[in-house]
Amino acid sequence: MTSPGIRKIIHVDMDAFYASVEQRDNPQLRGRPVAVGYGAKRGVVAAASYEAREYGVRSAMPSTTALRKCPPLIFVPPRFEVYRAISRQIREIFADYTDLIEPLSLDEAYLDVTENRRGLPTATATATEIRARIKAETGLNASAGVSYNKFLAKLASDHRKPNGQFVVPPGYGEAFVETLPVGRFHGVGPVTAEKMNSLGIHTGADLRRQTVSFLQTHFGKSGPWYHAIAHGEDHRPVVSDRPRKSSGSETTFLEDLTEPAAVEQGVLSMADEVWAWCEKAQAFGRTVTVKIKYGDFRQATRSRTLAAPVVSRETLRTISVDLVRTVYPLPTGVRLLGVTVSSFEAAGPPAQLEFGF
Amino acid sequence: MKITIERAALLRSLGHVQSVVERRNTIPILSNVLLKAENGELALTATDMDLEIVESVPADIARPGSATAPAHTLYDIARKLPDGSQVELDFTADTLTLRSGRSQFRLGALPVEDFPVMAGGDTGHRFTLSANDLKMLVDRTKFAISTEETRYYLNGIYLHASKAKTGAAEIPVLRAVATDGHRLARVEMALPDGASGIPGVIIPRKTVIEVRKLLDEAADRIEVQLSDTKVRFAFDSIVLTSKLIDGTFPDYERVIPTGNDKVMEVNAGQFAAAVDRVATISTEKSRAVKLSLDRGILTLSASSPEAGSATEEIEVSYDNTALEIGFNSRYLLDITQQIEGEGVRFTLADAGSPTVVRDVADGSALYVLMPMRV
Repeated sequence: MTSPGIRKIIHVDMDAFYASVEQRDNPQLRGRPVAVGYGAKRGVVAAASYEAREYGVRSAMPSTTALRKCPPLIFVPPRFEVYRAISRQIREIFADYTDLIEPLSLDEAYLDVTENRRGLPTATATATEIRARIKAETGLNASAGVSYNKFLAKLASDHRKPNGQFVVPPGYGEAFVETLPVGRFHGVGPVTAEKMNSLGIHTGADLRRQTVSFLQTHFGKSGPWYHAIAHGEDHRPVVSDRPRKSSGSETTFLEDLTEPAAVEQGVLSMADEVWAWCEKAQAFGRTVTVKIKYGDFRQATRSRTLAAPVVSRETLRTISVDLVRTVYPLPTGVRLLGVTVSSFEAAGPPAQLEFGF
Repeated sequence: MKITIERAALLRSLGHVQSVVERRNTIPILSNVLLKAENGELALTATDMDLEIVESVPADIARPGSATAPAHTLYDIARKLPDGSQVELDFTADTLTLRSGRSQFRLGALPVEDFPVMAGGDTGHRFTLSANDLKMLVDRTKFAISTEETRYYLNGIYLHASKAKTGAAEIPVLRAVATDGHRLARVEMALPDGASGIPGVIIPRKTVIEVRKLLDEAADRIEVQLSDTKVRFAFDSIVLTSKLIDGTFPDYERVIPTGNDKVMEVNAGQFAAAVDRVATISTEKSRAVKLSLDRGILTLSASSPEAGSATEEIEVSYDNTALEIGFNSRYLLDITQQIEGEGVRFTLADAGSPTVVRDVADGSALYVLMPMRV
């Protein structure tokens, strides 16, 4: 049950993002300690694979230190263009669930799924599905934290890393932070953690015992924040960084579709879902894209951009089916179908709509 | 050529044929009417090269022969002559002399051989239908004919044989369809004998309008002859022959929605009057009115930055989820004007999809209307 006013926040964090991408794209790196960065004298580790982390290699560590800790460490030069592209791909996945996406970096984002687009019953189910789709579409692992605010969601995503998921349900926030060292809390850096430790504050429970005025005396205007997070409270909203640029819907079928009629039926129902959103949001786009993923994971996308936005369900349906028909004959079964509308245009003055011929 | 004819008969026939003649003509002979006297009849012919109308009237023929005369001038003269007078037309050399009572007109005439005659030839299929049926086919579709010249294939009524499904049975029908891309009108009637093999043809707007003008006074049976390139309507002593639009009419069935599930029924007269009132406020350019539907009630509204706003509520039969949809008020009125029964039924899907409009009491006509985004 969802009580009114209780939010559903997911923090999604890619596991060793840059390093995992390199291991994904180069099989020889798999299972081996990898650092993304330059191994030269003054180089720094930008990201470390989990294998490297076992040796104590960390991000931002000088490359020379990293090599000393881990002699077999393999340095790979970063490919930021690739990371950015994957990050966009992941954000497209998020966008299927909510408009409220607050990216923190290329590999991390908060999602407010209080009203998720897919109608999934719980934020946990949403997080599970998002992680599964990230894995299916990018081959990469993500961890997720699910809770009722950003602070707890972020702590939770770290809790079962890598490739894990943890939920802090309403009412369990205080208990969750109780045992954690204060250095793990958002806004508590190494210096502050040191200072807290010197004041006898080591865990969330220690922090909770302090009064606001005590914390204010010692930590100034951050005091109330520390007091709040010790109680598992955080009222910061998820602030999306960009207006929505597309709306899409896709489905992976239980069994691969082989019949054109079934494929078209699938495309039509995706088109209808997208249309429902377009109508509700009163956002109409000029570009329709149909994505077809085959049973062997090969993927085809077909898109058409019109002179004017698609403003009717029938038009969207017709174009979607036309597009999917361009891949016939089907080379193999279809595993996934998606329909996306993009290139939104502001609704102008009253405009007479036309038949599509 | 020399004949005498009753003024009333001449006026009536000239009235019929002269409207085919364009007011402005770059080819002088097309401003003229061809007069041909033989066998106790005067045949009057007017053409614009695409549409030709010939009407025969009884006349006293003193000397058979042919002549041309400026159509509108001759018509104006006949119109101004006193009722019940006799008119003598006398053509010699290059002058047509018209005498009636004490009036005399001498009109310069162009050579008869210059007058273009539409090639005859085989007109293929023949069938007859009643004047009322033809009127219905024309009236309920002609408002939707496109005037956009770039889409010339929509500048007429698409007439063709088809099949109407009623339950499991299929009934052969004659269908007339017109669309301008915003709305579509489709009317059907039982397929007349002889029409089963007709090709689908696009009859130009002007032809449709000229035929329609003549139908009010026409005898009941209208003979239609049809080929791939021409259509001919023959009734009384009038034969109207027209070229067809050489184009492909779009697959109009595609835009007739079949899955619309929101049904509203409303009194056609009340609806039209309310639309008309509310539309007073909508901007001249868009003529948009908004229909807000909720259970049992329709709220019509319009607004414009300059004029203000208007709303009106009507009781309707509607039992579905609330829906807001905009339409061009003119288009709504064009359609409701064609509804003869008391009730009009709207079958809707959503604010961006085509809406189907029908007469509750008469299934022969179907209208499809694209909404406006408001």
